[in-house]
This record gives sequence, C-alpha cells and structure tokens, in this order.
Amino acid sequence: MAEEVVFVPVRRLGDLIRERRLSPVALAETFLDRLERLGPRYNAVVTVTRARALEQARRAEAEIAAGRYRGPLHGIPYGAKDLLATSGGIPTTWGAAPFKARVFDFDATAIRKLEAAGAVLCAKLAMVELAGGMGYRQPNAAFTGPGVNPWSRDAWSGGSSSGSGSAVAAGLVPFAIGSETWGSILSPAGNCGVAGLRPTYGRVSRHGAMALCWTLDKLGPLALTADDCGLVLEAIAGRDPADPTTVDRPFRHEPAAPAGRQFRFGVLRGATDDCEEAVRENFERSLGVLREIGTVEEVALPDLPYDDITRTILFAEAASAFEDLIESGAIRGLTAPEDRYTAYARDAILAKDYLKALRLRGVMAREADRVLAPLHALVAPGRASEAALLASEVRSAIRGTARDVMGAVGNGAGLPAVAVPNGLGARGLPTSLQFMGRAWEEPTVLAAACAYQSRTDWHERHPADLS
Amino acid sequence: MSEPETIHAPEAIRPEVETMLALVRERYGIRLAPEELEGVRTAIEGIVQAAHALRAVRLTNADEPGQPFAAYRADP
Repeated sequence: MAEEVVFVPVRRLGDLIRERRLSPVALAETFLDRLERLGPRYNAVVTVTRARALEQARRAEAEIAAGRYRGPLHGIPYGAKDLLATSGGIPTTWGAAPFKARVFDFDATAIRKLEAAGAVLCAKLAMVELAGGMGYRQPNAAFTGPGVNPWSRDAWSGGSSSGSGSAVAAGLVPFAIGSETWGSILSPAGNCGVAGLRPTYGRVSRHGAMALCWTLDKLGPLALTADDCGLVLEAIAGRDPADPTTVDRPFRHEPAAPAGRQFRFGVLRGATDDCEEAVRENFERSLGVLREIGTVEEVALPDLPYDDITRTILFAEAASAFEDLIESGAIRGLTAPEDRYTAYARDAILAKDYLKALRLRGVMAREADRVLAPLHALVAPGRASEAALLASEVRSAIRGTARDVMGAVGNGAGLPAVAVPNGLGARGLPTSLQFMGRAWEEPTVLAAACAYQSRTDWHERHPADLS
Repeated sequence: MSEPETIHAPEAIRPEVETMLALVRERYGIRLAPEELEGVRTAIEGIVQAAHALRAVRLTNADEPGQPFAAYRADP
C-alpha cells in the first residue's frame, strides 16, 4: 500500500475502512513496516507486535466483509505505552532494564477494550523507565535509549510517554495510548506536535497498567487531532470492576461543536511567566483564535503550594509502589544514574506530611472547580518551552526545577486536559496549547480543542525527513 | 485555611535535612557512593522544603483527605 494513509486522522481512516476502500490488513502492514523501519531512529518502539497485529487485522477485515462493523476504530492500528500488560508472550517492560523479559498472561483493560473496538495493536511503545517516577534528570532514562523527537533528532520526545508521542508524530501509528501521572501525556504531545488527552481520573481503567501513583495515574490517547483523541477515549472509557476508582459515567464524543458555539475561556494569572518567548507569543496568537469562538478572561487561584501538594503525593506513592525495587537495590539496574539512588530520599517523607498533601488536595480540587465552574476551560501553554535537547538536563516540575501550576492542579485534582499544537518555537520545534476542564468535562475540552483546530492548521504540519 | 507563609530558606531546613539524610544513610548508606549521597541530600532538601510549604497552610478539623476510603465487602 502506498503511504498516503500516513498522517490521515483516525476518523478518516475509519470511514475508508467502513466503506471497504481500505484494507485493515494492508493498513497494518504499512504501519508495521514503518514501525520496524523508522521506530529505531526515534527509539520509539520496544516491541513490534506483528503477529498479533496481523491476526487482529485479518479478523477485522473478515468481520467488516461480513457486515459486522464495530465502529470507528475497527481495523485501525495503534501502539500502547509499554506499561500496559499484554498477553501472548509480548513483553511488558515498563521501560526498565530489570523488567526487559517480563511477560504477563493477561491484557490490561484498555488493551482489551481497544480489541473489542476492533483496533489493531501494532507495537508496545517506549517510555521513560518506570514512567519517570524515580527522579530522572535526563532524556536518556530508558533501556531503549532517549526518546528522539521526529522534528529534530537532537531533541527529546518525552516524557514519559516518549514513544507514544514520537510514534504518532512520525506516522508510525495513527494513535497511541499513553499514561500521565504528572505531564506524561501532555508533555510528549506538546514536544512532538500531536494531540494528547489526559482524561479525568477514574474515566479510564488502570487495571493492568503499571502503578506509579495510585491516586494520580491516568491513561489516555495521543493522536493527530483532538477529534481522534475523543474517538479513542470513547473506546477505552468506562467503569471496570477491576479498577474500583473507575466510575459509571457515560462518555460520548461528538465529532464537532455545533456551528456558532461560543466558549468562555479562562487564563490563570501568570500563566506564561516561566515560558520561553516563542511559547508566550504562540500562546498570545492562540488566544486571538480563541476570541473568534468565545471570550477570554484572566482568573486566579488562591495562593497555595500546588506543586508541593502534587509532588509530595507523587513521591510518597511512587516510593511505596516500588518499595520492593527500591529496598532490594534492584533500581541499580535502571538506565539513568540518578534513577538508581534518588528514590532513597523519599524515606524522608513523613506520613503526616503525605496526609497533609492529601487534605490540601481536597482544598485544591474545590478551588479549581470553583474557578472552572463558570468557564468551559482554562487555557495555557501546554509546555513552557520547546523540547529539551537530548544532551541537556530536563527541567521538571516534579523535581522542582520548573513550575507547573496547571499540571499540579490538573493532575492533583484529576482534571481532564487536552493539548494540541499551536506553533513552532525558536528552534523549529512544536509548541502547544492546553485546554483544562472540570471533572468529567472531556466533551467540553475536546469541543473547544476541535474548534481551535478547525481554525488552525498546525496539526496538519508534520516533521520532514520521515521516509 | 490560611495563606501559606514564606517558604523556608535552605538554612532553616538544614537540621531537618541532615536528620533525614542520617536516616537514609543508616538504611541504605552501604549501597550509596559519596556523590550519590549528595544527590540524595539534594532530593531531601526538595522534600523538606515541600513539607514546610504544606505545613504552613492551616486547615480545619473538617478538611479531610481528598481521597475517600470505602468499606469493602465482597459480593454478595
């Protein structure tokens, strides 16, 4: 098959498959070839799941030929961050050398739901080891090597869903599943110039996903457009008895906001204070576009230590989740030198301080909801800077070397957000715009992001040199 | 709830940092090289600073953790 199917949104691919103008088997072959040929260039792939993909694609083709069309993901290839359990002898490594050979005998719920929707698993995608929970300071923090950005091979793609971002950006898969504890979907989406959706905590089952922080981890899609993210979320959302934090709230993605819909956007005071100049300029331009579809007003949150709240929860839960690995000294096997010892510091977190962070999280959630209630979304730059150079130290709000109030509040309070590309920075790398909404308001933030993308073409620009 | 106080200066948190570092050294010192222990010290400084920022915010008795515990009973 010619490669004209690359960089075609999921929605369009789905239409072509439904109309039987596109073969799921041929489509899978195209992306499997790209994963095998180009994946290593970006350190984007852990395992190409060729046998499983072709079996699923053949089944999809037969079902569709028999008139049993399952929906818009039927026959669509995808990749999953390698922290989602997969059966059939496919390794699930968590990006960490100590788990390179580990195999599960079951599929994570998200994988199972995508299979039920007819999607075709083509690859397990690279990630920062243990989703970045051990304190890494550099892009080279996975046994697969640093995630390389398709827009510039001296820049980072991650993290921590580095392969999920770069694989979509490089046209290796039409969509991918990533996870976010704090920034791990929005950051690679922003770095790589694709759309990324962090769902409300509890929207998507975490069963079968590596636990970094039980009360912060979320699974969500990365794709070419916000619209595609909505399609994928519809397939993976829902209550799961295996994950008691999931809720039974229906989610239905509408392809486009009604014509003329007006939005009310808020911008946190100081939202661009720590941003690079080009990020600030692109954000201001984005606000100009948003004023075509609504109003923009400045809002403020009370002065609380938001970053400290979410950071303390993350560090304490990660230290407990990986207690065996830390206590046994097996973290010595991790790739980034700092990942081999930094977690020992977390014995310094007192239980009372962790509980204080949890109590303050309640305050934070209420304050965020109060500010968001009259708005359709808070908007902000997706990231404060272009992607870091591979050779440089990564600035991180998690470690306290950068500030990220939107990320701290959004993740600490479990709120949905979608990031979409909104320009290029001084080094020619993508910058992004994020829309964050009240809990369970994915339809609203997606509608706003889709409306923005209907007026811009940043999502239609792709890296050069992908042949 | 009151507004947070000024963040503590590193000098003010040093005794707590050293106490926590001693704990880590006691537990894991045998496997940590000197430069790694310095890395741990830096990480502890961040943790203690964050703890001071959290402690500086006053809450009421009614402010519960934002994460409910639910009683468990297997079906039926």
